[in-house]
Amino acid sequence: MKNIKNLLKKRILILDGATGTELQKRGMPQGVCPELWCLKNPKVIQAIHKDYKKAGSDIVYTCTFGANRIKLAQYGKHNIRQVNEKLAVLARRAVGKGTFVAGDIGPTGKFVEPFGSLKFEEAVNIFKEQAQGLLEGGVDLFIIETIMDIQEARAALIAVKELTDKFTIVTMTYEKSGKTLNGTDPVTALITLQSLGADAVGCNCSTGPEYMLDFIKLMKPYAKVPLVAKPNAGMPKLIKGATTFDMGTKEFAFHTKKFVSSGVNLLGGCCGTTPAHIKELKNRVKKLKPIAPKRESISALSSARKSIILEGRKSLVVVGESINPTGKKALREELKKGKTSLVRQLAKDQELKGATILDVNVGVGGLDEVKTIRNVINLLSVNTGLPLVIDSSNINAIEEALRLYPGRALINSISGEKTKLKRLLPLAKKYGAMFILLPLGQKDIPKTFQKRKDNITAIFKEAKKFGFTRKDIVVDGLTLAVSSVPNSGIETLKTVSWCARTFKVNTILGLSNISFGLPNRPLINAIFLAIAEANGLSMAIINPSIKEVINTTSKLDIKKAKDVLLNKDKDAKAYISHIAKTPSIKRDTKQTLSSEEKVSTAIIEGNRDDIKEFVAQAIKSGISPNNLVHEVMIPAINKVGDLFDKKEYFLPQLIAGAEAMKIGFQYLEPHLKKEGLTQQKKTVVILATVKGDIHDIGKNIVALMLKNHGFNVIDLGKDVSTEKIIQAIKKHKAPIVGLSALMTTTMVNMKEVIQKAKKEKLNCRFIVGGAVVTKSYAQSIGAEYSKDGVEAVRVVKRLRG
Amino acid sequence: MNVNFFKHIIIPPPTPRIYARLGYSQSKTKLNQQQKDEIEKYIQEALTFIELKGSAIRIPINKINKSKTTLQKGIIFKSKDLVKLFANSKEILIMGATAGNNIMKAIKDNSRQKDLTRAVIFDAVASEIVDDVLPWIINYYNRELARENKHLTKRRFSAGYGDFALENQKTIYNTLKMKQLGVTLTKNYILIPEKSVTAVAGIEISS
Repeated sequence: MKNIKNLLKKRILILDGATGTELQKRGMPQGVCPELWCLKNPKVIQAIHKDYKKAGSDIVYTCTFGANRIKLAQYGKHNIRQVNEKLAVLARRAVGKGTFVAGDIGPTGKFVEPFGSLKFEEAVNIFKEQAQGLLEGGVDLFIIETIMDIQEARAALIAVKELTDKFTIVTMTYEKSGKTLNGTDPVTALITLQSLGADAVGCNCSTGPEYMLDFIKLMKPYAKVPLVAKPNAGMPKLIKGATTFDMGTKEFAFHTKKFVSSGVNLLGGCCGTTPAHIKELKNRVKKLKPIAPKRESISALSSARKSIILEGRKSLVVVGESINPTGKKALREELKKGKTSLVRQLAKDQELKGATILDVNVGVGGLDEVKTIRNVINLLSVNTGLPLVIDSSNINAIEEALRLYPGRALINSISGEKTKLKRLLPLAKKYGAMFILLPLGQKDIPKTFQKRKDNITAIFKEAKKFGFTRKDIVVDGLTLAVSSVPNSGIETLKTVSWCARTFKVNTILGLSNISFGLPNRPLINAIFLAIAEANGLSMAIINPSIKEVINTTSKLDIKKAKDVLLNKDKDAKAYISHIAKTPSIKRDTKQTLSSEEKVSTAIIEGNRDDIKEFVAQAIKSGISPNNLVHEVMIPAINKVGDLFDKKEYFLPQLIAGAEAMKIGFQYLEPHLKKEGLTQQKKTVVILATVKGDIHDIGKNIVALMLKNHGFNVIDLGKDVSTEKIIQAIKKHKAPIVGLSALMTTTMVNMKEVIQKAKKEKLNCRFIVGGAVVTKSYAQSIGAEYSKDGVEAVRVVKRLRG
Repeated sequence: MNVNFFKHIIIPPPTPRIYARLGYSQSKTKLNQQQKDEIEKYIQEALTFIELKGSAIRIPINKINKSKTTLQKGIIFKSKDLVKLFANSKEILIMGATAGNNIMKAIKDNSRQKDLTRAVIFDAVASEIVDDVLPWIINYYNRELARENKHLTKRRFSAGYGDFALENQKTIYNTLKMKQLGVTLTKNYILIPEKSVTAVAGIEISS
């Protein structure tokens, strides 16, 4: 039989169509296990295999989609290897020679760590057991299909690849949205799976041909392997309790030409397709020439739900540096305790500040780094979409991370040190990782560009033996402190420039070393980064906020810093003296508005950051606190209320305005006291979320709004008993009580409070609100109603009289 | 018949629904760039605190009479609405999900630190996104079931709706082992964290 890879260069290979629906048509009863039923009825499945062969399938799938330990356990105890072996033998005997038999591996039905409870190694073992049986049954290749969890696809692929080097296809199943149920898009899956060793990648099931065509188009530019499409016969429709696929053979095959011109290399059918659908496909591809994968390699990284293409990028790839315990006592302590909340926080902060990738280093003396990196990789794989850089000097920790990480990672780093080369290059190859090439030789740190260049070419020569290309590596230009090695900035820049322009690889710098020992390190770092970028730097391990430094730096500062970095300022004397003389930069807040207008605008726009300053300015300019409150702030907050009523503002704007008002008011209070203006008695309003209910955000909004309008709010909190509310009414002699409830089951407790108050003859009025509360319900229990915070203020003011 | 745990469910934020929940009107509400950026920032921040987790279990029906469904594992649901829902089912799916404790703590902390704007946006994001988890679980099971030529009923029921009493939450909670998801149940049958949901649906054979 001809080699599949060679055949794919010449023509489109046709896969088979649906098995399940064919089995049902041919007598398989409802509710039985298809695999076990086929073993008892071998002629039926063999007839299906034969029909697909006759229709033109080059590859037929064994009927082993659910023949794994977890799925078969639903039907009793079975010898998994034997089941798979027998079904593979049935397929082989049915189609004979000349047609490939693909050992079919489907999902377990459990999500794999870190997305589900199935441990990663357990998943690998489950798939290995199945693959072993299929191998024993004589399959020619493997197909891992209908997978929605990228980690499950990885586990299955690793299992197969650890057993055999047979051609292995992986097809994921995508929603119409273009993502798997678990959030992986086709390009991300492609980058992860092709680097992990899949020989062909694609999609099956879920959608009809039209949507799948889009997925193929998306993947083709990044594919170094053939692409596969196995669509359903249309979108499934549930008609009178029956799942129906209504696409006829011609309609199904209508897109064949477009599939081929978009770059598909293997084409078949999934649910609802029949031998007739496959025959139509076969007829239509006969004269069509396949488009070979466009590339041999790709500079790209991925996480479970995002990919970063490093080629042709115009902007710098910011690698967040913060997840590194060096110099961070709190992180070291946390990692030692086996905790990860700070790691989560650091990842979150860097992502929000614009990091593209995150560097992960958990090396702490006396810590089990393998165990720690496992926890951290699991945490970050689900808590950030950013791809990860595995930064460690511990080879076992790197291996653990690479095996578990549900994406294509970047190893930081591989140097010319013999042990590292020997162990890390095969690991990077096996798990498809990119790596940072650190131009260190066996001994000391190379200080000149020439020595670094020699090391780079020597290490790359070794990497090439494992099949790595320039696109798989990122060269570290090596940053040393200019305070101790004055010429190091220039040598680093030469290295970066040569790598980017002559050797044509991605480059990276661990930037902050450059400024070690100098004052105002962020400035030096930012300027060096700018120069390095101009020299072709593509990535930098930095604090993601660094770019903001440049925007707020004067030209003179930049020049002085540049002189140090380019060794034009001996011992950095001029720079140090300049920094010592320069006052810290103050943000220019000059505005054309008057003080009162600034206060008013801050409330209307919800500017909580500057309101205090503006109020202080207004007081300083001679406006009396009383006037500021009554003539500026209250009209401003009323305007916010009006805008909210008109729906020109929505809730966040209303609250931001109210919070700004409150901050301004708090600042003014001592001034008002001085004027004796807070002496007048405020009306007390008691607020509570009633017994059994724990929802209080709406009540908190009402509290804020009432306080801003001068009420003395006593907030009793949530899940407050009737007795406690009654006691509070008595204690504070409150004339108004606001009750909140979100659920129909707790709403009734409002009535209980009101009845009890009546019984005790308390002279107070009630106002109620909450998601399920209506005006008529309020009336029925003898209360006023308000739909939101703004209305609550109006109602309470009316009740106060 | 084991509980299937989904430890980390990834769902994109239903941004239009989050805005709508906060009262945004496409034709009327006006936001300046700073306000837009601030709201988007808080939505993104909320997502970093949300940990969507779920669990589900398929349980065969032993017996159905006029007002009672008896399941394996000794579970009994007294509800005519459910009897109607399970009319064509031999098996049901019980499912539950939560947005986790971290987001609730973040909402509480922000309310306490008087950053109510942030708290309200966090609350809206959590409420809306958790509403998408059960449809996610249903979608997942429908894919699984399609291979068995089965599907879930279009409707689902939660304890506290119709005549399916809230007290059933306890059975659902225990069956789904929701404690393992970090969820607790109050004596009033309220799930804590409050951004947690449960439901039951029937499994029917696609004829």
